[in-house]
Order: sequence, then C-alpha cells, then structure tokens
Amino acid sequence: MKAVIAAPYTWLVVFFLLPFALVLTIALGTNDPDSAPPVALGFGFENFARLFTDKLYLTAWLSSIRIAAVSTLGCLLLGYPMAYAIARAAPARRPTLLMLVMLPFWTSFLIRVYAWMGLLAENGILNQFLRWSGLSAHPGTILGTEWAVHLGIVYAYLPFMVLPLYVLLEKLDTSLLEAAADLGARPVAAFLTVTLPLSLPGIIAGCLMVFIPAVGEFVIPDLLGGTRTLMIGKVLWDEFFTNADWPLASAVAICLLVLLVGPIALFQRQQAKGLERTR
Amino acid sequence: MTDPIVRIEGVAKRYGAVTAVDGVDLEIARGELFALLGGSGCGKTTLLRAIAGLETPDSGRILIDGQDMTGVPAHKRPVNMMFQSYALFPHMDVAANVGYGLRREGRPKPEVARRVAEALALVKLEALGDRKPSQLSGGQRQRVALARALVKQPKLLLLDEPLAALDRKLREGTRFELVRLQEQLGLTFVVVTHDQEEAMSMATRLAVMNAGRIVQTGTPHELYEHPATRFVADFIGVANIFETAPGRWLALRPEKIALSAERPHTAHTATGKVADVAYEGDRSLYRVATHSHGTMLVSTANVHRTRDGAFRRGDTVWLGWSDTSGQVLDA
Amino acid sequence: MSRFFVLGSLLVALVAGPAFAQGQVNVYNWSDYIDPAQLKNFAASTKIKVNYTTYDSNEILDAKLRTGQAGYDVVVPTASPFLVRQLAAKLYQPLDKSKLKNYGNLDPKTMALLAKYDPDNAHAIPWMWGTIGIGYNTVEIRKRMNNAPVDSLKMIFDPATLSRFADCGIMVLDSATDVLPAALKYLHLDPDSKKPEDLAKAADILMGIRPFIRKFHSSEYINALAGGDICLAFGYSGDILQARDRAAQSAEKRDIAYTIPHEGAMVWMDVAAIPKGAPNVDNAYRFLDFMMDPKVAAASSTLTNYANGNAAATALLDKSISGNKSIYPTDGARAYFYTITPGTAAETRERTRLWTTIKTGQ
Repeated sequence: MKAVIAAPYTWLVVFFLLPFALVLTIALGTNDPDSAPPVALGFGFENFARLFTDKLYLTAWLSSIRIAAVSTLGCLLLGYPMAYAIARAAPARRPTLLMLVMLPFWTSFLIRVYAWMGLLAENGILNQFLRWSGLSAHPGTILGTEWAVHLGIVYAYLPFMVLPLYVLLEKLDTSLLEAAADLGARPVAAFLTVTLPLSLPGIIAGCLMVFIPAVGEFVIPDLLGGTRTLMIGKVLWDEFFTNADWPLASAVAICLLVLLVGPIALFQRQQAKGLERTR
Repeated sequence: MTDPIVRIEGVAKRYGAVTAVDGVDLEIARGELFALLGGSGCGKTTLLRAIAGLETPDSGRILIDGQDMTGVPAHKRPVNMMFQSYALFPHMDVAANVGYGLRREGRPKPEVARRVAEALALVKLEALGDRKPSQLSGGQRQRVALARALVKQPKLLLLDEPLAALDRKLREGTRFELVRLQEQLGLTFVVVTHDQEEAMSMATRLAVMNAGRIVQTGTPHELYEHPATRFVADFIGVANIFETAPGRWLALRPEKIALSAERPHTAHTATGKVADVAYEGDRSLYRVATHSHGTMLVSTANVHRTRDGAFRRGDTVWLGWSDTSGQVLDA
Repeated sequence: MSRFFVLGSLLVALVAGPAFAQGQVNVYNWSDYIDPAQLKNFAASTKIKVNYTTYDSNEILDAKLRTGQAGYDVVVPTASPFLVRQLAAKLYQPLDKSKLKNYGNLDPKTMALLAKYDPDNAHAIPWMWGTIGIGYNTVEIRKRMNNAPVDSLKMIFDPATLSRFADCGIMVLDSATDVLPAALKYLHLDPDSKKPEDLAKAADILMGIRPFIRKFHSSEYINALAGGDICLAFGYSGDILQARDRAAQSAEKRDIAYTIPHEGAMVWMDVAAIPKGAPNVDNAYRFLDFMMDPKVAAASSTLTNYANGNAAATALLDKSISGNKSIYPTDGARAYFYTITPGTAAETRERTRLWTTIKTGQ
C-alpha cells in the first residue's frame, strides 16, 4: 500500500525534480566550448539576464505565445462543436465518432506533418486541385506561412481539445437545458447561460492541453512554417545545438517551464475552488 | 368545459415501435389542481412534456388558453415546469436559479430581486438565496425548483413527480404545502404522479392513464366510488373484484362490506373463515376465505373500545352487502 | 518528433552506451553515407557485428559526444567547424596509423586541406567532400531569365536577379556557417572574416534578398526542387544532385542542374574519427580501414554523388561521377574554393544571433 502511494512521488522525483535540478545547475553555469560537456559550473544569473536584455528572446516568446494562443482558439472553435455533436449523438454511435477523432494518433506524428507539407506545397495536392478545377489559376502557397503553422497545430492538437470537452459535455444533464428553455431561454441564451459556463472546466483543460505544448512546439513550425516564424522552441534548439551553449539553452528551458507552470497552477486553484463549492 | 386552460386533442407520440401516448383527449379547467396518475411507462410524463413543449406530438394538438401550441417552442409557451430531478443550475446560487426566468424576460434588476425574494419567501427559503444547490438538502432543493417555476406566475404550472425524491415524512408535509400554494396563488397545477394516495389527497380532479391512454377522468370521489373499469378500481384504493355474469364484474370496496358472526339480512351474503387479521388502530383489515367469492378483504372501523378484536383468525364469519354497495363494471 | 528523439537519445546516451562485447563496432554516421552492400561484406568477412546508427545533423552528433560516454567507436563529423571544436574539447583519440593498411590510398590534396583543421592529420581521415552551390530547374529559370547567371553568386545574392525567380520558389540553407561566408565572398570580402563590420555588410545583402526567399532550410530543398515546388536553391552539391536524379525519374522529367559559383565555393569535408572512450578500439581501426578501401569509397560516392577523399577510388568510379565537374571539379576551379574556421564561442553566438535576425527579420 505504501509502495503504491510512494510510486507517483518517486516518479516525480526521478523524472521531474532530478532532471530539473540538473538543468537548473547547468543554467547557472557558463558556456565552455572546449570541455565536454561544454559547461563550467558556477553560480551566476548571466544567462537569465541575457534572456531579458536581448530582445530576440522576448520576440520569440511573444511570437510563440501569439501562435499558440491563435491555434488554441482555433482548436476551441473547431473542437467545441465537434465535442458537442459527439456528446449529443446517439450513445451507440459515440465510440465510433470518438475513435474517428483519435484515429490520426495511430500514425506517426511526423508522417502526418509531412502529409500536410504534401497537401500545402506550391505543387501540392491542394493547389493542383485548385488549378485543375479552375477555381484559381495562380493560387498562393500556404506552406511556409504562419497560416500553415496554425493549421498544423490545430490539426495535431485538436483531439486534446475535443476529449476533455467531450467528457464534460457528455456528463451535462440535458434536463438543465430543458429547464432553461422552459424558463424562456432561447437556444442561444440557454447555451450561453447553461452549457457554456458548465463546460468551462473542459474549455480550460482543453486550452491548457493545447496551449502548453504549442508554445514549445518545434517540429510543426520547422516543417510547415516559413523561416520568419520565430518560436521559442527553435531558439532553444539553436542555443543547444548550433551555439552548443548548454547553459543558455537551460536558462531558456527553465523560463519556459516557469511561464507555463503559472497558468497550470491557476487552473488547479480554479479546480480546487470548484470542488470546494460542490462539496 | 366552457373555457379550459388546457385542451388536448388526439395527441399521440411514438418512439420507434413504442407508443408512449396513444390518442389522448383531455381538458383541464382554470384553477384546478389536476393530477395525471399512472404506473411507470403509462405516458403521463410524455404528455406533460408535450404540454411544456419539450416533446413534439406525432399527431393531435394542444391548446393552452385557447391558443394552438403546435410549432411553438418551449421557451415561448406560457407554462413552467418543475422537473422531477429539479434540474437546478449547479453553477448558479439559489437566487440566480429562481431569477433565471425573469432575467430571460429582460426584467429590470430591482424587479427581479423583489420577485425572487417574494418567491423564496413563498417557499420559506428567504435565508438561503446565496447558497449553491449543492449546499442544500433534498427538501430545500425541491422548494428552490418550485420557487423557480412559480416566480413567473405562469398560467399553468407543470409538476413532474414533485414529491418522489423526498422521504416519506417530508412528502406528506410538502403535499399540503403544494395545495396551499396552489390555492393561495390561484394558479392551475398539473401534477404527474405514480402515487395514487398522493393524487387522491391533492387533486381537485385527476386522470388515470394506462398504456398511453386516459382510462378515466374525474374527481377523487368519482374515481374511488365509481370506477369505470377494473383497472381503475384496482389502481385506486383497494377493491374486491369478482365476476357476476360473463363480461360483468362487481368492484366492492372493503369498507362497504358488513362483517358479522350471524348471517346478515342483506341482499348479498357470503360466509367463510378469517384467514388473516391486520389491526391498524383506527380500523382492522380481515382477509376472509369464502367458498362463494374466493378470498375477500373487509375493513371495519374500530368505533368501540374492546379488550381484543371482534374476530380472530379461524373464526367463521358472515359478509353482507347491498345492491348499491359496489360498482358494476363491464370492462 | 525529432525534438523528442534528440532528448530521448541524449538521455539514453547518458544512462548507458551500447553494451561492451567482443566482435562488434558501433558506428554513428549520416544516413545513406556508406554503401549498404559493402557494409554487409564487412560484417560477413570480419565477423564483426556492425551497430550502425544514423543522424541527420552535426549538431546532434556534437551534443552526444559532449555528454560523454556515447559508446561510439566510429563517428563522421564535418571537419569545420565541428571537428575543430570537438578536437579543442579533446573528444577524439589520436590515430595509430600503423594499424591502417589502406592509409596510403588517401588523396594527398584532400589530406593537406584537412590538416588545416587537424594538424598532421592526427585524429581523422577524410570520407566525402563537396561544395555549396546553386541548384536550379533549367526550364523554369530560362523561362524567367534567358541569360541567367547560373554559375555566379549573383543568382542568389543579387536582388535584381533573384527577384525574377521569387514566384517559382527559392530556398536557401538554414546555416549561418554556410551562407554568411558565401555572402562575404559575393562582396569580395574574406569569407572567413569574423569582423562585425564585414558581417554587417553580409547581413545587409541577405536582408535585401530575404523577401524573395520562401524558406531557409537545410534539407527540404531536395524534395522541393525535385517536386517542382521551387526552382532555385542554394545548397549542398550532393543534395542537389540527388534532387536532379529524383526529378529525372519523375513523371514530369524535370531538369535540375547544379553549378559551382565561379567566384568561389565553400568546400566542406566529412571525416571519420574514433572518439575517446570508444569501447571497441581495435574494431574501430578495422572499420576505418574498411572505409579507406577504394571499392567501398567508390560505391559510396556512387550512392551519394559526393567526391571521396580516396585517390585510389577515382579510377573505380563511373565516368558520370568522376568526370562530372560538379562533383570532381577541375584544379582550376578548386583554386577558388575556400574554407572557414569556427571562431570563438562569442563569435559563434554573434553569428547565430545575426542569422536569426536575418531569417526572421527581427
């Protein structure tokens, strides 16, 4: 029994706290390219100071947050109706519909992103279709733009939005909506005053599950985005691999973690408050 | 009925192969406390939901206050409903729940506040306006649901099993409370219930439903004393039912039968041995095994104080009744 | 998900290298870099089990070596800047040339070039080398500019010329160390210059052409060129020739060509070396000797479209490779080739920072 309780803590210590301590130690050291690993241990905050003095990092941050936020909104606008439709479908059909949402996960993530490249390229399937159908003789190229990045993130993370929303909407008592209608609420008003507030925890959970990995996303902007798309994941990659500056890369990673822990902690508090209320 | 508040004409509703409501005609008068009584699956809730606009009948029509409600969505109907599950909004406090309907009408804030306070006072929950439904007891929730349905002063209040979720003791008190409110506010109540005792004690008039149809409509007295069919006679109260001729039956209430040691001078008699005695204080119930009519149930009012009951198990007794004691049935 | 792959493999490398055992050799190489049939021969004739794993960027190899105890016996870094930096960090063991009977096959000219990075050729042997130049779709370019200067850096760095091809798609390597020196060369400055004022001029040139470039990327141009998604690329010779072969096989029969800019091209070289702490040193020597076998080098050049550093192998090559001036340039063209040195850590940082600024326009 004690072992069972200790398991998550052991996991946390071994796979989170120890690596975190390691990364923090490196972040406080300085870059030493003539040693392996290229780190001179020490205790200084120069690396963190650099993150706040060079506007590259701030720009990368803001751009990552903007791209992640827009993509999260896209996921929400697309995922909410999907989750709602599945939750309101006949119970016998729901597993099939959910499976269809999950289906893309059965193939490699990388292959799916490459498939999008094939679709969106200048001579890709989309443009070939547009030219063939005569809809557009000179269609622009989506691949390599920020739109492609948004599309890729929305596509890749949509299930993470749909699933928590579905879980919540499926539980939603339909008699509450009937009560709202009975009390004079038009369908839109009933949705806004009953369904939406009651699915708020699902919205928050879904948004966090999309937003957090999207901020640090590296593969999608690298493959689908243009070169102008500056994201913190790419900056981190550059610091670690191109510059071989492990301490600065570690400092970026720590800041990424701290900035993402904020919204999670807020969400947890919200959840805890919610639990207290229903007690 | 000259000016019914509700008029139901040939309403039917099917779900796949199952017919929930099978051609119902019904009129409910203004100011009534009308009960729809029946077992589970008899179609009473479907009928109530059709009045509220939550179900669309396959055929027939419903008029409320003279207006055809066909095609009128739930949110535009002049009725309010109290749901069996109460369906309180869990994310709103009590006052917000009660004021929901008024806010949808776009009433000014002070008016909403005043009317919410009045409605809460009516159900004696003045102090609990800022509680969340999850912080209330079952009885309190029931009263919030009632206040929420009442606050708009609807022409018609529909109550779906309003007492079913309450424990027995609370149920009896609340029953009278509902009747008091209905009389005080002068509204029309339509109550759906499976509990015949509840229906009899509350309703001014009731309809007994079975298999999607209304079997009989009338006052509690009419239904008890003059049941139209064996189903009604059996469903409401207790009756001894026996065939008097092919296709003709007699329904005889236990208290309409005289019990004596000697052969009585009544038009009809039967004799047998007491198989069981249930002493209930105010009355005693006897199960008598007769030769002519099978086992019959007889009740006697314990008007006199005696050291022990009049008859014991095994005693040979006589039963007697007149021509008018029972109801003759042909269905 | 290469990101997770990288982190994952780093973790594995930290925790445990490949197991020690007699009769195996752990080779970490670029993908598609040694002829697989020859690899099979090696395993069959020596009875040594080859654990052959591949990577697709120097950076990943660098990171692995720097975590220590990666467990590799033979690795193939690019000479500059990677080998140079790794030598400074003392990551390789000196070679005992008496153990390499095929050492005499190596090309003296190539060895001399490599000695600039690895004095006395003490640690590494040359494998493949190539140039960075211009790949283009002949039809699309001619359609837009009949007398396009396809053998000049003007193709890439002159905005007036480059802008003509913007509509059919242009890609440039995403690599500060490959592109900035070329821009310096175009400006008649020292391509190896680390002077901030020189680099600023190169950056100005790049900022001017940036609007016409669809993407900076170090491998996507192969598919894009072959598939007709772009018509012009500044990239590695072997990659562009690979695109050429693929395009020729496609239904559209696109014609892709590669030219070495006459102003001078950067030459790069990949070398093989034995890391310190290699678990199977003897087998590593046998594998290096295998790589220096002219048959192996020639077969691998046929596979990669790159020139090898093995003089004895040239005779074994098909004329389409050994006679191709894009792969084996004339001595006259080679006189204009240049190389670069890595510079200090601060210079690396400045260069990367400048490159990010150029790419993103921020």
